[in-house]
Amino acid sequence: MLRRILRFPKTCFTCSIASNVHTQHYDVIVVGGGHAGTEAVAAASRVGAKTLLITQKMQTIGVLSCNPSVGGVGKGHLVKEIDALDGVMGRAGDWAGIHFSILNRSKGPAVWGPRAQLDRQRYKDFIQSELLSTPRVTILEGSVQDLLLTVAGPEKPERHKVYGIRLAHGGEIHSHSVVLTTGTFLSGALFMGQNMSPGGRMGDPPSCAGLSNSLKEVLGLKIGRLRTGTPPRIIKNTIDFSLTVIRLPDSSPTPFSFINTNTHCKSEEQLPCYLTFTTPGVEKVVKDSSHLNSHIQQDTKGPRYCPSIESKVLRFPGRQHQVWLEPEGLTSDLMYPQGLSMTMSPEKQLCLIREIPGLQRAKIHTPGYGVQYDFVCPTQLFPWLEVKSTQGLFLAGQINGTTGYEEAAAQGLWAGVNAGRTSLSMPPLSLSRTESYIGVLIDDLVGRGVTEPYRMFTSRAEFRTSLRPDNADLRLTLRGFEEIGCVSEQRYNEALRVQAGLNEALSTLQSISLSAARWRDRLGVVSISETKSSILNGVEVLQYKDVSFQMLAYAFPELFGLYLEFSERLKVEALYRPHCDKQRREMKRMQAEESLSLPQDIDYLTLPVSLSQEVREILDAMRPSTLGAATRLPGITPAAIVHLFNYVHRNKHRAHGKTV
Amino acid sequence: MHFIRFWRRSTAVITAIRSFQVKRLLCSVGSEDDTIFALSSGQGRCGVAVVRVSGPASVLAVRSLTRGLPAARTASLRSITHPQTKELLDRGLVLWFPGPGSFTGEDSAEFHIHGGPAVISGVLQALGSLPGLRPAEAGEFTRRAFYAGKLDLTEVEGLGDLIHAETEAQRRQALRQMAGDLGRIYQDWSLRLKRCLAHVEAFIDFSEDELIEDGILNDVDTAVRQLQTDIENHLSDQRRGERLRSGVQVVIAGSTNAGKSSLLNMLTQRPAAIVSPTAGTTRDVVEVPLDIGGYPVLLSDTAGLRDTTDSVEQEGVRRARQRVEQADLSLVVVDLTQLPSEPQRVPVFLSGHLKSILEHSSHRRECILILNKSDLISTKHKRSIQTALEEAGDVPPACFLSCHTQNGLDDLLTMLQNRLKTLCGDPLIGSPSLTQTRHRTHLQNSVEALYQYHQYRDVDLVLAAEGLRLGLTSLGRITGRVGAEEILDLIFKDFCIGK
Repeated sequence: MLRRILRFPKTCFTCSIASNVHTQHYDVIVVGGGHAGTEAVAAASRVGAKTLLITQKMQTIGVLSCNPSVGGVGKGHLVKEIDALDGVMGRAGDWAGIHFSILNRSKGPAVWGPRAQLDRQRYKDFIQSELLSTPRVTILEGSVQDLLLTVAGPEKPERHKVYGIRLAHGGEIHSHSVVLTTGTFLSGALFMGQNMSPGGRMGDPPSCAGLSNSLKEVLGLKIGRLRTGTPPRIIKNTIDFSLTVIRLPDSSPTPFSFINTNTHCKSEEQLPCYLTFTTPGVEKVVKDSSHLNSHIQQDTKGPRYCPSIESKVLRFPGRQHQVWLEPEGLTSDLMYPQGLSMTMSPEKQLCLIREIPGLQRAKIHTPGYGVQYDFVCPTQLFPWLEVKSTQGLFLAGQINGTTGYEEAAAQGLWAGVNAGRTSLSMPPLSLSRTESYIGVLIDDLVGRGVTEPYRMFTSRAEFRTSLRPDNADLRLTLRGFEEIGCVSEQRYNEALRVQAGLNEALSTLQSISLSAARWRDRLGVVSISETKSSILNGVEVLQYKDVSFQMLAYAFPELFGLYLEFSERLKVEALYRPHCDKQRREMKRMQAEESLSLPQDIDYLTLPVSLSQEVREILDAMRPSTLGAATRLPGITPAAIVHLFNYVHRNKHRAHGKTV
Repeated sequence: MHFIRFWRRSTAVITAIRSFQVKRLLCSVGSEDDTIFALSSGQGRCGVAVVRVSGPASVLAVRSLTRGLPAARTASLRSITHPQTKELLDRGLVLWFPGPGSFTGEDSAEFHIHGGPAVISGVLQALGSLPGLRPAEAGEFTRRAFYAGKLDLTEVEGLGDLIHAETEAQRRQALRQMAGDLGRIYQDWSLRLKRCLAHVEAFIDFSEDELIEDGILNDVDTAVRQLQTDIENHLSDQRRGERLRSGVQVVIAGSTNAGKSSLLNMLTQRPAAIVSPTAGTTRDVVEVPLDIGGYPVLLSDTAGLRDTTDSVEQEGVRRARQRVEQADLSLVVVDLTQLPSEPQRVPVFLSGHLKSILEHSSHRRECILILNKSDLISTKHKRSIQTALEEAGDVPPACFLSCHTQNGLDDLLTMLQNRLKTLCGDPLIGSPSLTQTRHRTHLQNSVEALYQYHQYRDVDLVLAAEGLRLGLTSLGRITGRVGAEEILDLIFKDFCIGK
């Protein structure tokens, strides 16, 4: 068995910090060092690409710009999947976490939400050392002025191809592909009260206008605008915690990563969070100051589910809203008030927080502010996150209209994998909705587009009982090694071992059948009823609420003793297996539809096929990548699908004929 | 020019659709692992109805309904029985077409049965009770045939329009229904279920760090239970709506020379059947569509039931019995002059007589006794028979009639109308009835799924929510697809989600 110990990456500087890159050539250049950028760099290098990360400031690599936490319901699923594909986020969370809890414990293991409060410094340190110790990675501090673009080929004058970037301080760096993960920096503007200044994050310089201009004017990409915000940070020792409700972490922290058995923070070192509520006074401050608040007066789309306190109060007046006070780190003297994102002037912010129990004497360290930024409508991307019209250009993170660290990291990983693969002349890959939340996320983005910042929820996944946090390794790690090439052999072997163990244990469970009465005798559980059928096998017995695998192992040590380490996973498997079996056919249907790709150069408006004008316009605007994506577009008729299917087949047939 | 391009394309389609990959696609455009069935002839009022089955479980369907597989592509006369209840549904022609030499390219079968709605829905329900079989969606047989490369060039050319027409017709039909009371009911259910699901989803996705009221799941429990009751009540309408669409089968039966054909002629107000004093005049079944009090009726006159050596008449008697089997309502005509002279013995005699005509006790419940030739007996005798029948109690409702003088016709019509009303349901009162077997199937699936919600409510909320999702998907097959975005819209409308 693999020894699983929590590791901090050895900073052995196998990677170089570039100083003179004028003559160099890379496989992949990643622009931006946030959650998307760092996963992209790491993933591209894992598939074997020589990768350059360009960031404005070394020190901001791996910074948690907003909330000091990772995971949650839906988001935790993404972290587990990123980890299953050998990404960084899960391990960084295990290293930096200072308050671990599994949300939704009472609602079924398929929606358990692993979550952790993080120590900002530790998180950043881990990410930076990880990248510095990753082979094939170079990090460059600098600002990107523009993309280097050329025409893709003589036969396709409308299609571009990226071949590198131009730095603001002069010099070009060439590469096969470029991944843009610029977050909120694309034409970013910061708002506070009536003040507006260009930028993507307070304290950092705005990024160059050239990039934004190239995307819009040269590549002709459709751009939209979104907004977000962050709350003020509050000085810890000015808070009266006695007026709040304390929330303790889980007594034994559960790590995110499949290869960690424990977290860096010991259970007794964990810090609590505190809950308090807004009052009518808060509402009054918001209403009195709304005429002085230019951010909320604009109709740029903000998220419905992570709104500023201003929009909450204006949309749902007369209600009490929760405010969570979260620690920023083990030694930090700041607290993060989750739920109090605001854009009013700093004076008003102080008035507002002092209306809240526990914060009556609180002092603000840094005020909150709003951000408005450009995003590229993600329907212009392939499912492997490459811009359809520009060969070699990949986008990930907020630039695609999402919100959240986990959503950004998931896209970064997938963009990095594919930027790496294509630059090494391997075909790009996509993840299916039927196998992962990352697949759901990307399919929603490229298939339907966004109208507001996109966040992951479990309700978005059709196959929720199959896509669980506990089995992300079985779903992704094996494919990650065998097909994708982004998983280390060590992790792969571990996943194989787990898979074999689980399968053995399940078949052993299935092989033992006893009457309900015998099971009751052996296990001492009274609730095993005879209503279903009098003979039950081990899997069926394990489905009972008060039967655990440990009890089975105790009653039949010779059969099950070997598999005790999988106790929890076996219990979950037993619970969901019948439902997953039922879903399998529907999953196959969806996979078949997704496997039929629609050529990207179809001119839907003139396609000599019987389609209604309405359908043509939808197809032309959305340009679905696969037949499956087309079926999910609102307004597409069954007849249109049949015609598209024929068209695809005819083309396939022709293409096939050519090559033979 | 355009035509040539199209022609080429069409040939390419045919070649392409015969390729191996198409096999895989079969499961992509509808789950073609399923075996589908449907009434392929028109709805109602036809002599012979054709029920078609296609898909891998066709063998099972033929074996289960007819005991044994007939020779391929040969019409064989078989008894068709319900696989579970073993009840005889009909005798009809069964054809077996093993794939790929069939219309759809799959294993398929056809049942040519009698056209009564009772027989048709009996056979459809029997098929639906088999594992792996489901009612076909509109155009599905054609689509399967198309994918299997079974349509010739002209058919392929027409197919686009055909599918368009079908989906258009479906859409228009759906719109029409949706505008009516039925549509309002389905939409209302769909909305209620959507809201239940939205509340459960909100509880799953947000309750850990948002204010979602604790009692919300209890509200959902109540709402789901109410919804189940509503759908189940709707389903238990004894197929009234389907009857209303295709007509109620009313059969006139009785001994020879009781006056059955006279009754038919009187009700249709024209000499539709030959009437003569000779016993056994009517040999075949005479059918007349009628409107009685606003209800569609398919009235049939049958040969008088008696033992006979005449082979033509024997066949007539067999058909008469069969028609009686299928009928929704039987009018049993009795010649008053043939009754025992003592009124006290009349009830026992009539019971025995009914048993000989209506073999199944269920049919005896749906029957009206018509005591004909009342002009030939005295008023006093008539009254004493009436008293005897009222005292006996276990005799079906009876009505005195003279086809000769038309005396008693009004009473008969009133009685008939009341019966039709119960059989069809009054479309103006209460909830509208189901008009399509397809709807019934989806509603049944939906109710089943809602049971899953309760089953798992306290075990695993995800599995419980799965029940609501499945229930909504089934309802959505009638009202339209419901996506995750719609659920999220409802969540954000009802809750202030903001961390």
